Amino acid sequence: MQTHVTEVGSDFDPRAKLVAVMCLSSLAVVFQRPLPLALILILAVLSARYFRSDAVQAARRLRAFLWIFAAMAFVQSLFTAGGAPLLSVCGISLLSTLGLERAGSIVLRFLVIIVSASIMATSSPREIVQGLYQWRVPYELAFMVAVAVRFLPLLRDEAHDALTAIQLRGLKLESIPLRQRLQIYSYLLMPMIASVLGKARELAVAVEMRGFRAYDRRTSHRTLRMRARDWGVVSAAVLVSVGVLGVFMHM
Amino acid sequence: MTVMTVIDLRNVVYQYPDEKRPVLGGIDLCVSGTGLTALVGPNGSGKTTLGKMMAGILKPDSGSVRINGRDASEMSLGEIGQQVGYLFQEPDRQLFAPTVQEELAFVSRVRGAAEEDIAGRVGNMLDRFHLSHLRERFPFSLSRGEKQRLVLAAILIQCPRFLILDEPTTALDVRRKAELAENLSDLDSEGVGMLVISHDHEFATRRASRVIELRGGAVHADTRY
Ligand SMILES: Nc1ncnc2c1ncn2[C@@H]1O[C@H](COP(=O)(O)OP(=O)(O)OP(=O)(O)O)[C@@H](O)[C@H]1O
Ligand SMILES: [Mg+2]
Repeated sequence: MQTHVTEVGSDFDPRAKLVAVMCLSSLAVVFQRPLPLALILILAVLSARYFRSDAVQAARRLRAFLWIFAAMAFVQSLFTAGGAPLLSVCGISLLSTLGLERAGSIVLRFLVIIVSASIMATSSPREIVQGLYQWRVPYELAFMVAVAVRFLPLLRDEAHDALTAIQLRGLKLESIPLRQRLQIYSYLLMPMIASVLGKARELAVAVEMRGFRAYDRRTSHRTLRMRARDWGVVSAAVLVSVGVLGVFMHM
Repeated sequence: MTVMTVIDLRNVVYQYPDEKRPVLGGIDLCVSGTGLTALVGPNGSGKTTLGKMMAGILKPDSGSVRINGRDASEMSLGEIGQQVGYLFQEPDRQLFAPTVQEELAFVSRVRGAAEEDIAGRVGNMLDRFHLSHLRERFPFSLSRGEKQRLVLAAILIQCPRFLILDEPTTALDVRRKAELAENLSDLDSEGVGMLVISHDHEFATRRASRVIELRGGAVHADTRY
């Protein structure tokens, strides 16, 4: 018999967390206006605190991408007609209220997804796979979800390294005009995509070699059980989502 | 007149956030502009960490790093990069452009150099690093040795006065290693100072005018020839 020392916050069933995360990110996708999205973000932050995930840390690390968000405001203003122009040159509106609103929504939506996804990172990948498998989710799919959850922090490190390397080529990001800075950010995607593809390929080969999918049924050493408070989390997530949907659909 | 680059470390202590003890425990070191300095030592002795410290990629917990007299923690990476070139252990993370040619050109282009000037320098580098036949290729599909030559060329095209190379011989065959050695010798005679991090003792020390040996985060031996 083994006693488990459970980490703080990781003592909820991963499936309960998954339902909560799915509710939050679905809400974020459904709504388009900043006001409901802001409310959903608050919900997401509160849930993240409830599950003791380091959501604030996760969001803070995105600071480097603030420029992309700023750029989005301009792009949205340029290509969407409507809204009051705030800044225009020769009759072309560079920054409009509508553009700002759209960009704000994109940012908020992005934040909701990051913050709620950070909740999943409080479960170990093995627990996630096991939990989903017990819910009759095909093992391959469950495995992929677990891998994706673990990939996110790696991706962040890659981005950070690439940003360091490109600056050390002698690019002073701080004194480069916005348009060129955007071009530089697009260069950063290249090493990131290459590395993710590389990792995915390695992982695929490695799991096949270990006999992944060789047998139809899996024997599991550990079983997970949904307890009362896990079901509590699930029903709270569903009820709140339906509530939010109801309220804002009527407005 | 070439300006000599001097990197000066004073009592540098560094500990990775989630580790229990410091990786670098109070290093005093001054690496000056010319000649080839080899940094050797066993795995995990802190060579890479020290190299990153010298290029301002990591900031010391205490002590100071000065590059040409300026505190590295007050310089941006872009500023440092114009004086010190850094070759990371992993080439994939320092390739950015869709073609070999553009990999060499894009930094100069962003910095506003004249097109004919860029073309001339790109041509030079392609010849010098035997990359001309690959100029239109996608950098990520090159072999490991070719990638490394490309990264080195892309760093050198900005004419840094000092170069830090982390394990440059990993994955190079005998012939490529000899070619790299030749490139480094050329740079040496052009007055570019170098720090070569390597546990390939033979490679690192053969041309070195100074060998620094690191053990457990401290300078164990420092020999000049
Ligand atoms: N990002 C990191 N986070 C935490 N610890 C690290 C990190 N990078 C290195 N370390 C630890 O710091 C120590 C020194 O690492 P470093 O990479 O500087 O050694 P090295 O001499 O370059 O080794 P190698 O010869 O294997 O390249 C090691 O014990 C390593 O585990
Ligand atoms: Mg190393």
